[in-house]
Amino acid sequence: MPVRIEADAELPELALDLTPTLVVSTALATRDFTPVHHDPALARAQGSADIFLNILTTMGLVERFVTDWAGPRAVIERIDVRLGVPAYAGDRLSFSGAVASSEDGRVTVRVRGRVSLGDHATGTVTLRVPDDLPEEDG
Amino acid sequence: MTDPEMTAEELHELARGQADLGEVRGAPAPDPVNAPMIRHWQQAMGDTNPVYLATGVAPPAMAQVWTMPGPGERPDDGSPVTDVLAALDRHGCTGVVATNCEQTYHRYARLGERLTPATRFTDLAGPKRTALGVGFFATWTVTWYAEDGAPVAEMLFRVLKFRPSETGPTTPYPLRPAVNQDTRFFWDGVEQGELRIQACADCGALRHPPGPMCPVCRSVARTHTVATGRGVLYSYVVHHHPPVPGRETPFAVGVVELQEGVRIVGNVVDCPIDKLEVGMPLRVTFRRMDDRLVLPMWTPEEA
Amino acid sequence: MLSGRAAIAGVGATEFSKQSGRTELRLAAEAVWAALDDAGLSPADVDGMVTYSQDANQEIAVARETGVGELTFFSRVEYGGGAACGTVAHAAMAVATGLARTVVCYRAFNERSGRRFGRPDAGLGGEPTSQGLEMSWHVPFGLVTPAAWVAMFARRYMHAFGATSEDFGRVAVTMRRHAATNPAAWFHGRPITLEEHQTSRWIAEPLHLLDCCQESDGAVALVVTSAERARDLRHPPAVVAAAAQGSGAGQMMMTSYYRDDMTGLPEMSVVARRLWEMSGLSPADVQAAILYDHFTPFVLTQLEELGFCGRGEAPGFVRDEGIGLDGRLPVNPHGGQLGEAYIHGMNGIAEAVRQLRGSAANQLAGVTNVLVTAGTGVPTSGLVLSTG
Ligand SMILES: [Zn+2]
Repeated sequence: MPVRIEADAELPELALDLTPTLVVSTALATRDFTPVHHDPALARAQGSADIFLNILTTMGLVERFVTDWAGPRAVIERIDVRLGVPAYAGDRLSFSGAVASSEDGRVTVRVRGRVSLGDHATGTVTLRVPDDLPEEDG
Repeated sequence: MTDPEMTAEELHELARGQADLGEVRGAPAPDPVNAPMIRHWQQAMGDTNPVYLATGVAPPAMAQVWTMPGPGERPDDGSPVTDVLAALDRHGCTGVVATNCEQTYHRYARLGERLTPATRFTDLAGPKRTALGVGFFATWTVTWYAEDGAPVAEMLFRVLKFRPSETGPTTPYPLRPAVNQDTRFFWDGVEQGELRIQACADCGALRHPPGPMCPVCRSVARTHTVATGRGVLYSYVVHHHPPVPGRETPFAVGVVELQEGVRIVGNVVDCPIDKLEVGMPLRVTFRRMDDRLVLPMWTPEEA
Repeated sequence: MLSGRAAIAGVGATEFSKQSGRTELRLAAEAVWAALDDAGLSPADVDGMVTYSQDANQEIAVARETGVGELTFFSRVEYGGGAACGTVAHAAMAVATGLARTVVCYRAFNERSGRRFGRPDAGLGGEPTSQGLEMSWHVPFGLVTPAAWVAMFARRYMHAFGATSEDFGRVAVTMRRHAATNPAAWFHGRPITLEEHQTSRWIAEPLHLLDCCQESDGAVALVVTSAERARDLRHPPAVVAAAAQGSGAGQMMMTSYYRDDMTGLPEMSVVARRLWEMSGLSPADVQAAILYDHFTPFVLTQLEELGFCGRGEAPGFVRDEGIGLDGRLPVNPHGGQLGEAYIHGMNGIAEAVRQLRGSAANQLAGVTNVLVTAGTGVPTSGLVLSTG
């Protein structure tokens, strides 16, 4: 069944358990070697509860959340993210979203990624979707 | 780099200077856009979108990944942002948290092309009181260019550099001034590292402490001048007893006669008590008492 | 003119202590009764009441406790101890103008066992009233105690005139010597030496502990009525030959650091000019001066502002001519607030009355005119009281 891209259409939720493996592997895949993203002792010494997601990963996960829904033919034009509370290892990051506007193939999606402490990331993603609606994946 | 601590005004001056540098190019990415790094990235993200490797492009959110420094490498020293962040560290704003990341993708980067970043410092705002403490918002943009000089992606990035509290929230300094619309300009000034003296907008008479109406000409049109911050010690006391909340005894308080001709009261700091002397030259220094209060104080003018 | 129209016909006080063990209202009521007894009047005679704006006991409360009925005049005088002589000035005005026939002035507090003025109050600069804003230029810097406020003037005075801490000390030593022979004084039998003054601990340099007056619990009340009526009462009247209040240009509560000069007390100069003019007297005509002595340096400044010596000459005046009982100008024969008690200057007015009656503990000979001053460094007041 094709995804709806009319205004207010909701995106399927994406929930991720933030295992240390996920936090560390994404930090390294984005080439962010800052110790607070892989060294728990040092992260705690600097006042953090644990290691936490780096921003490049947050951007990547927002992109994934939207393309998981919009499908391979969607072209991402812009991602605006306002960063909130840290997403610590051991927490769960849940993305929700809805279509804010859709006109002539240009779609704006409002995105919100929450953790137990509150909003980790909120923002909008702008994408182009070809006129023929994408098929449901798989 | 030798100045131990800049005032807020000096920080803004530095920021303006860095912004005036315009776009500063960094080193090109060490590797061209390549499939192994894309595959690695997608696996880590759990991103199963087949379009990237199938069509030979990178996920757009990887834009910054291509030019990240490796472990042990320093972030790009040529960046106009570096000096501002270092000055903020010296100002005591050692905490950092990113607040905004906005990326625009002109097109997807293609396998085999090597991106070059260029950074432009755009804005410093503050000091502002935030939930984390008092701090400054620093904003810059990075554009990644392809070898043909065309921009592939752009990013606006904003961080809050804040003064971290030592043990949870800062203990509030108990000796607070009352402030109203007649005096707010003064306290706003010290927060920004300015010693402001009320000046009558009509007759020019300077006045401290300030008030709502010029006692010389009856004008209520007020402005202020920023004092040079230099003066002499007109009188002083050394407080020993009783204990004063928020203070360690003994401490010195002086009446300072400013070059501008008005007097002002403030603590004399960085001076042994037995070196205090009526007539000694002083210059202003601004001391933060807590998240919300900066006080102008006085330190001996070096000969 | 006010001169000669009113008189103090009665004085009363509680004991002076460090812990009265009673409420301030009870102290006020006791002192008022004592003053009425002294005058030979009853509560029914009283139709006016005046106190300090800082007093915690409202006039109506004191009237209720003492059985005073209707009041046709009540008033409060501002600015801490600067109110002292002002209460008598207001009472004398009321009597002279017919607003009231008999006015009681009182001051009652547990200043030692209750709220102590010498304790820092972090909230002084808290409210954006004119006084809160004024304090806000000082309090944030830890300049929060009366001793420190006064010390700022004292340092400048020392710088300008070469005065020393010993010059301040000689005032303290004299006051304590007077108190030593006044049974009502807290420091009765306890004189001090200049060396003890010099070695007492710092409070706010340049002020030592013994430059600062004590803190006391107690109350004093005065009965003011017309001079004519006073002559028919129990004791010889202390006639109000002059009464004045004064504040200077650029005046602040206790931090007038922004005026041209910091070595004087311009508000006391205002009072002095009015007192001499109204009484027709000169400094040579008074046999004793009751000078407000919460801190020693301002006793020197007052001698200058009141015309007993020239500017900067007070240290020499005290050292060479003397302010003791046998000095050129006996100051505070009761021991002042440094020696007798700190009742915000009200006990000094009572001493002036006793000197005029001839009933003081350290009675001087031939007293016909006494000068009294109120709080220094604040907007203030003064009296010249005379016999007959
Ligand atoms: Zn003017």
